[in-house]
Amino acid sequence: MAAITLKNIIKSYDKTQVVKGIDLAIEDGEFVVLVGPSGCGKSTTLRMIAGLEQPTSGDIIIGDRVVNDIEPQNRNIAMVFQNYALYPHKSVKENIVFALRRLKVDNDEIERRLSEISEMLQLEELLDRKPADLSGGQRQRVAMGRAIIREADVFLFDEPLSNLDSKLRSHMRTEIGKIHNKFGRTSVYVTHDQVEAMTLADKVVVLHDGYIAQYGTPMEIYLNPTNIFVAQFIGSPSMNIIEGTLFNDYLDIDGHHLPREKLSNVAYQETISDSGLKVKVGIRPDFFNDKAFFSETDLTFNFNNVVIDLIEPMGFDKEVLFNLAGGSVKARLDLRSDITLGVKIDLLVDLSRVLIFDPETEQRL
Amino acid sequence: MTPLERAEAKFGWKLVAPTILILGLLILYPLMYNVYLSFFDVQLNGYKTFVGLENYIKLLTNTDYYSAIGTTSLYLLGTVVGTTLLGLAMALLLKDPFKGRGLVNAAIMLPYVAPVISVVFGWQFLFDPISGVVNYLFVDVLGIWSERTNLIGNPDSALWVVVLFDIWKHAPIAYLLILSKLVSVSRDQYEAAAIDGYGPIGRFFHVTLPELYFVLATVVLLRLIWNLNRFEDVYLLAPNVQTLPIFTYYQAFTGVIDQGLAAATSVIQLAVLSVFIWFYIKKIMKW
Repeated sequence: MAAITLKNIIKSYDKTQVVKGIDLAIEDGEFVVLVGPSGCGKSTTLRMIAGLEQPTSGDIIIGDRVVNDIEPQNRNIAMVFQNYALYPHKSVKENIVFALRRLKVDNDEIERRLSEISEMLQLEELLDRKPADLSGGQRQRVAMGRAIIREADVFLFDEPLSNLDSKLRSHMRTEIGKIHNKFGRTSVYVTHDQVEAMTLADKVVVLHDGYIAQYGTPMEIYLNPTNIFVAQFIGSPSMNIIEGTLFNDYLDIDGHHLPREKLSNVAYQETISDSGLKVKVGIRPDFFNDKAFFSETDLTFNFNNVVIDLIEPMGFDKEVLFNLAGGSVKARLDLRSDITLGVKIDLLVDLSRVLIFDPETEQRL
Repeated sequence: MTPLERAEAKFGWKLVAPTILILGLLILYPLMYNVYLSFFDVQLNGYKTFVGLENYIKLLTNTDYYSAIGTTSLYLLGTVVGTTLLGLAMALLLKDPFKGRGLVNAAIMLPYVAPVISVVFGWQFLFDPISGVVNYLFVDVLGIWSERTNLIGNPDSALWVVVLFDIWKHAPIAYLLILSKLVSVSRDQYEAAAIDGYGPIGRFFHVTLPELYFVLATVVLLRLIWNLNRFEDVYLLAPNVQTLPIFTYYQAFTGVIDQGLAAATSVIQLAVLSVFIWFYIKKIMKW
């Protein structure tokens, strides 16, 4: 078991900086997910923790050792690769126990761990097969088994589910969660899938362009994003960003006046001139409700007579689009809302969930 | 077969017929004629007398024949092991890109593409007892040998010069074949093995070697076939090294010319080679 600390990690290839100064403290036993769009440096960061890449500068500390100059084979880590990286010439069994053979674990212990792991991952029938004879999901389970059996200090996952179809992916996601709960090892998990980030993580690191855009629990990141990038990257459908103007008493959105004192998630305290302060307003589609089914309170605001332009039924809920302040805004309503195109409805928004951002710096205000 | 498939097969035969015909004339006919000759006493004027198995009996009781088999075995062992190991070593060293790799590659390929006759003269000059650089180095500079020796003149040492020459000349093709496979081994496997705790040596034995198994087997097979029949390199560099092809040549075309005996030698060689290759392909290459 080990904590991981990254101190001002920078990684450059030739003249291109990929990771631009990352500081991160991962506690012992924590499950941390690095999430971000492709090219944000998340895989590179993971590979530096594994020792497969050398940081250009900065320190990586696992447990109480600075591991910068320690080879991957001496870091006591386990890793699941995106395309599994199974050894094609070895049977499933030999793939799984390969690390134990190196550690000279005695045969009885190897058999004991193998039977435990293969039962947990339902691999018993497959132990004598070669990787080429397995399906994608089976290979993924073998890769998981190979990582778990080590009982290593740290588990690293490099987009382990991205090659699976969506049904299998959500199944394996649950399995990974269960495995983490069972073993409680420090885990670092890289993904571009924000659902995996939200569901698996104790803490989420949102990376953007080589920097940490935000680090916090999934709910912090979802409810209190610190900038527009995080706000839009996390959550599906993504957060609406609407033009607005902030005044001392109210927030103006396209003529709608949202009372300032009810916007409990707006921290901005400075006095504003009479012409107001241009801001970007962030409202998640999930925080709109159809007034026909929800009662208005003093913590909600009513966007009345909204004209619906597009309806996307998703099953349990439906996503609708309407125009506001010159942009298209999405709301997620529950299946009871019986709406048709072009009708006018009243939408309630939860005022405590309304966020504002600086239009220049895109940071929260 | 459906009528369409049958028509297609027929068309296919028509297409390959000219090739089969030419190959049959150029290879199959001489081969069969060779087998036929091996049962005759052949005169230079073309007269042939049927002698049955006499040529074979004569051959199998000739001690020179066994000595040629011994020389050939040593030659094969030295050259096959040497080229494969040298090719493997070069491929491992030059696998990762570096500045000037193109030039190094060109230099490595040079012996392979250079005409035999020109490099043979170069080598004879190197090993010349009076003016050769090898004797100069080992006697005058390093002082390892006490006197100048004619390495190519003495059949025992000439064998090793010939082996060395073949390794130098043919390691490039082994290098090329091995390198082409080596660069296609996925980096993930090495990374996974590193994470699993294996250092460079463990990774070589558990990742590189299994991946190279078939290409190494192919290199060994090709080298065996080529060198069992290799004539020009050996004959030009050191005609006193009697491997089987050289032995056969001396039987057929020099001294007391005995083409029937020479034909019998080739027939045995072909039979042994065929059985060996069949076994090798079935068991080692698992085709």
